[in-house]
Amino acid sequence: MKPLECEFEAEVLGAVLQSRWPEHVDDQLRVHAACCAICSEVASVARAFDGSLEELRASAQVPDASRVWWQAQLRARREAIETAGRPITAVQLVAFACAVGLLGACFGATSTWFQATLKRISSNTAGFDVAAFLTAVSTMFVEHGALVIGLVAVVLLVPTAVYVALARD
Amino acid sequence: MFRDTTFNDLGRTDALAGVSTEFVMDEEAFRGFYERNARGLWAYLARVTGNREQADDLLQETFYRFLRAASTYESESHRRNSLYRIATNLAHDARRQSLVRAPVISAGNDIENVSTGDQAGATERSADVTRALSSLKPRERAMLWLAYAEGASHDEIAGALGIRVASLKPMLFRARRKMAALLGRKPDGGKS
Repeated sequence: MKPLECEFEAEVLGAVLQSRWPEHVDDQLRVHAACCAICSEVASVARAFDGSLEELRASAQVPDASRVWWQAQLRARREAIETAGRPITAVQLVAFACAVGLLGACFGATSTWFQATLKRISSNTAGFDVAAFLTAVSTMFVEHGALVIGLVAVVLLVPTAVYVALARD
Repeated sequence: MFRDTTFNDLGRTDALAGVSTEFVMDEEAFRGFYERNARGLWAYLARVTGNREQADDLLQETFYRFLRAASTYESESHRRNSLYRIATNLAHDARRQSLVRAPVISAGNDIENVSTGDQAGATERSADVTRALSSLKPRERAMLWLAYAEGASHDEIAGALGIRVASLKPMLFRARRKMAALLGRKPDGGKS
């Protein structure tokens, strides 16, 4: 199995990073690197990067520290305000619905007048005649068609208009 | 990303003064930390992304996330590791979003695009590095740059890239071998 590291590679890398390679290092280290695949690769890659790093650092146009700090503060405050004003999430809605359902169940199980009203409604519903209801509805459409259509239009149009107005705001 | 500051923003700062914005360090400490690390970090981002404009954006985003991180740092090197970890993750996310595997060498934004006549030789060498790096995977580019340009230790590189030190060594070995070959060396020419 080929070794992945050489005990001298850190020394070679240090020499390149300190701009001592190859002129200002021990002869022994230079001789070793010449015949060590790992050290010669380290020297080759590190020297290529060293020149590139200097050039990049010199040409980098990084913004001023004060500007970065100030903009970060501004952004953090904006985000804090957005977080504070965020509408309730779906999880909170589900939790609220569960709580309301639970309260309703407790109320239904303990309230006698509520149970009596529920029984009366269910007995009325059992006697409900669907055919007679449909006949009454169709008669109403024939006699007051325009009024019914107007009412339906208002019921649909008003919420739509309100929604569009609010969305524009 | 940061948007440009306007006079409206200036006027609003007073109104926002009461809102809590906790940073991991105060302004003076940040200034020093920024001065010591911004250029090196920008060079890292430019090398990993291959794009100046993206490096500019990611640099500011990295420092912002660093400031907002709910962490305590034991030392300067711990802070620096954290900074590079954030930068690496942001570069990774940006790459995934743009679905670009190799560095983008587009007109006007490539990282060798600002040289003058005197720098022609250095620029050519830097362009060789860019070409060679563009043949490597993003993670290989990041680990090589950290190891051989920044002189980071294995622990630091593993921390920045989110991998184990034991996994890093063979990966770094293979990446270095590839890079050396791409730079025109014969990596099998010598014996270890």
